Amino acid sequence: MQSALEKMAYAVQNAPAVLQNIKAETSKPIIGYFFPVFPAEILYAAGIHPVQLYPRLEEPITLADDHLQTYLCAYVRAQWDQILKGKHAYLDGAIIPRSCEAVTFLYQTWKRHNPFDFIDYLNIPWKNSANTIWFFTKELQRVKNNLESFIHKEITSNALADAIVLYNQNRSLLKKACGLRNARNPIFSGRDIFNMVMSGFVLDKKEHTQMMTELLSQVEETAAPTTPEPPLVRLLLSGGCVLDTRLLDIITTAGAMVAIDDFNNGARSFQPIVDEGKDPMESLARAYATVPCGFNTAIRDRFSFMADAISKHAVDGVLFAVNRNCETEKFDYPILDGKIRTRFNIPTMLIETDYLCAMGPLQTRIEAFIEMIGGKDI
Amino acid sequence: MEIKKRERPAFNRDIAAAMKKHYSHTRSRTPLAHTLMSSNPLIEVAYAAGIQPAFPENYACVCAARHASPTYCAKAEAHHYTQDLCSYCRNNLGYTYSGDEAPVNGGIGDPDLLLMTSSACSHYFKWWDTLREIHQKPLVFVNTPRVMDPSNRPDFYVDFARREIQAAIGEIETILNISIPQHKLSHAVYQSDKTVAYWQKLLELQKCIPAPLGLSDLSNALFVLIVLAGTEEGANLMEKVYHETAQRAAEGKGILDLKEEKHRLLWLNIPFWYNLKILGYFENRGCTFPMSDYCQYIWGVTRMDSKDPLEGLARKSLEGELNTSLDDHIDLLIRDIQAYHIDGVIAHSNRSCRVLSVGLLDAANIIREELNIPVLILDGDHADERVYSEAETMMRIDTFLEMLG
Repeated sequence: MQSALEKMAYAVQNAPAVLQNIKAETSKPIIGYFFPVFPAEILYAAGIHPVQLYPRLEEPITLADDHLQTYLCAYVRAQWDQILKGKHAYLDGAIIPRSCEAVTFLYQTWKRHNPFDFIDYLNIPWKNSANTIWFFTKELQRVKNNLESFIHKEITSNALADAIVLYNQNRSLLKKACGLRNARNPIFSGRDIFNMVMSGFVLDKKEHTQMMTELLSQVEETAAPTTPEPPLVRLLLSGGCVLDTRLLDIITTAGAMVAIDDFNNGARSFQPIVDEGKDPMESLARAYATVPCGFNTAIRDRFSFMADAISKHAVDGVLFAVNRNCETEKFDYPILDGKIRTRFNIPTMLIETDYLCAMGPLQTRIEAFIEMIGGKDI
Repeated sequence: MEIKKRERPAFNRDIAAAMKKHYSHTRSRTPLAHTLMSSNPLIEVAYAAGIQPAFPENYACVCAARHASPTYCAKAEAHHYTQDLCSYCRNNLGYTYSGDEAPVNGGIGDPDLLLMTSSACSHYFKWWDTLREIHQKPLVFVNTPRVMDPSNRPDFYVDFARREIQAAIGEIETILNISIPQHKLSHAVYQSDKTVAYWQKLLELQKCIPAPLGLSDLSNALFVLIVLAGTEEGANLMEKVYHETAQRAAEGKGILDLKEEKHRLLWLNIPFWYNLKILGYFENRGCTFPMSDYCQYIWGVTRMDSKDPLEGLARKSLEGELNTSLDDHIDLLIRDIQAYHIDGVIAHSNRSCRVLSVGLLDAANIIREELNIPVLILDGDHADERVYSEAETMMRIDTFLEMLG
């Protein structure tokens, strides 16, 4: 079990080298995309290696300052900075969805400076209706056509159907792993889940699915650890994305656990289950229109997703960890927060995270929050 | 800052009266819909349906100009809407939560329904969704896509927008238990198109030397172009604005006279609504703003045929500066910088408007490199004057003007 988890952690920590290696070994083109709203099944079916793009937390942002102002999301700036610095040389292109303002309009900057061979955008629906699904299907078809021109090859319905099955299987396994966090003393830590999800954005999907299968079968054979005293405080962690694992470590050290999350690089990413055996493009459109990211989801639907998570995972408190300058999450927070307090009468807290931020002050606040709920005496 | 009093075009008084009337209507007429301004096809639909539209964005500009925005923004912040959010939104939410008994311009009424499109900024979806939660009123949402590459816009985008508008009309009819007759929609589109036609001719006049209007005059006329789009009153008023401006141009009458107008500048992004007097400062120093991307490219760009109103409204929702590529935008700027005889650029890096600010630094560099024209970048915000530094801004402007000569 440790071996699979170690491999996943390695893939996350060394993503550029791992991707470079995949490229060298498979000769596959690699295309990056932002957020889990793009159906990577299309890339996989095309024989392209998909990678969901996140910046690495390593060095200050410098080159991107010439293009993107400091009041824009630092993760987007960091991503563009690292592109400009050649840290993602394995990429052959990118697909940028309409999402928050910073990412949406990064497409224009990206296209103008054209660091790679392929670039495309994707309009995603912000409401679910017959008309928006009709549009999204056509929009996905447009991107598929552009990809076919890029690779000079047709993306067949059979290949799409196979990719859908594989991705569904992968998401089901991730859901199952997350469900194991419902145990009183769960076998996986918040960091383990983070590595499982994030490595899935890097590794070949078949390989990752095999790893997850092995991991979960080993878990079934392993005796549950003894129950700690006092019991862990169970948190729902919500925000755009969490990349800084120091946050997860602070939560663990303070006597709490992330019972479930509401992140783009977390539970949101494995929500859609795509219909199998039907028209693949329309099925992908239907499923991906439901991914509950902040930018495409109404507050009432986000609340429904969070309320379901709070109930299913016996959550004791909600920690909103929102990136500075993230308009989307900050817009939803006040009403979501109020609804959660009213419905569940559980404590909540907002912290503001940032790229390479100082963790000291956040640690103090998180520890106090967990202590208030009933965590271990710090 | 001592600003010399200059004679402004007479139409400004007519626009002020129309604005007063509009705000009065937003408190007295029902049904009232809160809606947005950019590329919004539901404005014409609202007027055709007998719905009184109200525009929280426009009201935020008015509040900013009267220095009321900081109070409203602070109120929104007290409700956990942080300073990262657009100050138009915070102004509106703060106003909504404040229950202010003596609001600026008398305020705007509470909505009976909410009309929105996704043709404007992405976070407006969040804004209107928040309003739905606060007011618990129905939201009619036209989910138009963002056009990132206008020269290759797929045909199905127009079909989709058309279907969305058609569906929205059906929803409005159901919610209000009314029928929106085709001839009324055609009439609204006709009036809107007439307004746009005069607006486009008006912008052409700004190529004259000296520039007949200043940026504050053009910004005032935007009220007519957007808020009154689809009304006979709006079309007639814009016609009047055009004729007065044409008269000024024919007489060689500018905001500055020929000898005074030393430099013609381009303003990029939204003005500082709380400090429009800064435009007067530029005028004192012999500078006019014959054009801005805000006035020129965002609105009033789509001509519509009233014989097929849905087609026109669909295209309206997919056009304008928010639906362009950076390359096309820069090409347009370069074309117009030459056509309007621009010799300097003021670029407002506007922390509240990411749509107009992402790509601004690239545009500034390209203008400098390709046209050898100086560009001054000013940090600020369109409505929240608390993040604006007067001293720093003026120092940078003075240095820029000295360099211009």
